[in-house]
Amino acid sequence: METWVRFSAQSQAKERVFRAAQYACALAGDALRRNGAGSGVLDRLRQLEAHLSLGRKLLRLGSSAEALEAAKRAIHLSDMVLRFCITLGHLNRAMYFACDNVLWAGKAGLVPSVDQEKWSHRSFRYYLFALVVNLSRDAYEIRILMEREVGGKRAKGVENGRLLQADNGLQQLGLRLQVQLRLLAHVLRNNPPLLLDVVKNTCDLFIPLDKLGLYKTSPGFVGLCGLTSSILSILTILHPWLKLKP
Amino acid sequence: MESFVDFTNRSQGRDQLFRATQYTCMLLSYLLEHKADKEKLVMKLKQLESSMSSGRKMFRLGNTVHALVAARRTTQLPDVVPRFCLTTSNLTRALYFVCDAVLWLRSVGLQPDINKQKWRNWATKCYYFSLLMNLGRDWYEISWRLEQAVRKKNTKENSSWDKEDQELNCLKCDSLPSFLPLLFQILKRHPPLLLDTVKNLCDLSSPLDALGIYKTNAGVIGFCGLISSLVGILTLASPHLKLKQ
Repeated sequence: METWVRFSAQSQAKERVFRAAQYACALAGDALRRNGAGSGVLDRLRQLEAHLSLGRKLLRLGSSAEALEAAKRAIHLSDMVLRFCITLGHLNRAMYFACDNVLWAGKAGLVPSVDQEKWSHRSFRYYLFALVVNLSRDAYEIRILMEREVGGKRAKGVENGRLLQADNGLQQLGLRLQVQLRLLAHVLRNNPPLLLDVVKNTCDLFIPLDKLGLYKTSPGFVGLCGLTSSILSILTILHPWLKLKP
Repeated sequence: MESFVDFTNRSQGRDQLFRATQYTCMLLSYLLEHKADKEKLVMKLKQLESSMSSGRKMFRLGNTVHALVAARRTTQLPDVVPRFCLTTSNLTRALYFVCDAVLWLRSVGLQPDINKQKWRNWATKCYYFSLLMNLGRDWYEISWRLEQAVRKKNTKENSSWDKEDQELNCLKCDSLPSFLPLLFQILKRHPPLLLDTVKNLCDLSSPLDALGIYKTNAGVIGFCGLISSLVGILTLASPHLKLKQ
């Protein structure tokens, strides 16, 4: 019980729980629709999802300031690529939250003339940029770690003799790919925070891709992706060592 | 901006800001209700108030656990009166949050056949009772400090005055005129106690009106709610102003 109190004292933590519930509703709604459930149940799920979404928008009202603060902190990072990626990611997030606040104002009836469709598209575009930048940062980290691993192996004098034995060009390529994939799996297995971040960003990627019409999947798949990324996010809050630093 | 971020990062901080906004809207819409060309503004204020209120209800889900953990903590207090008052207050607050969660289920449409009036009545009663318990604890804190101050004053005067004047002064000590300045002095010297008492008294206006015990109007409730939210924000921003339990 003490864990819950400490957990929900952070407003981000509660927001993640509501996000997980919202995407679980989307997933459940799609699954029930496929199995021919009545419209009453589907309506209730849709209403609950809408309430959760609006509530989360309200909770995110101050988040632009948080993202700008994080961007300000990220400017002082030593590594240039990380500095660029993380700062840009936070700035895009700040813009996403700003558009989200406008959407809330429209939905709450404060500014009824807000074009929901236009601002929704805008907000998802910023979200997509932020995710792409985050994934680039992840790719950069993976590349550095892989290079470090290869360097370490060379220093130990371990050579892959099989590469020299392959005579066919395609076979050589296949072997090289196999080596790289094994190295990638090794790097990710040794770095749970990085693995978690990659999976989370990849899952999140499907949401704006679907909403912007770039890569349409099903509402159930979007719900599953959202639910997975929310659960991973909750894990990083419960166990702060799992959060990718910086 | 950093202090704003630090403040809102805590779930309670955000909730108190929304509460302050909600009661400000209530107060403003009461003041502007009968003005000629302010109908649109009043409608927007009412909509903002209702979206803040329903959003806050959603965030309160799970606060039952908070209240139960707090109740467990207050059973360890050394003095009997605060232990009883605060534990009872926390337990009734837990019940209030349960009723609140049930009302949320109904407002969201998950359980449309819940008797809204009955549950709202129960929620208000639980909240009212917990406020009375809090005020009981405040009164206990004030009264033993008053007693201490009166005793100190008596011993000071006993040592410096003659016997004849002593009895006269003892009578003077117990009369009402010197009780109020002493009370103000105590409250001024203990800001956390003053803030907690003010907050609880202001919070009392809403359930008193809802239960029909002392009917006021939306303006008074809005104003009292705003004051109590501002006190809440103050105690969160400066933790040394929070009354220790």
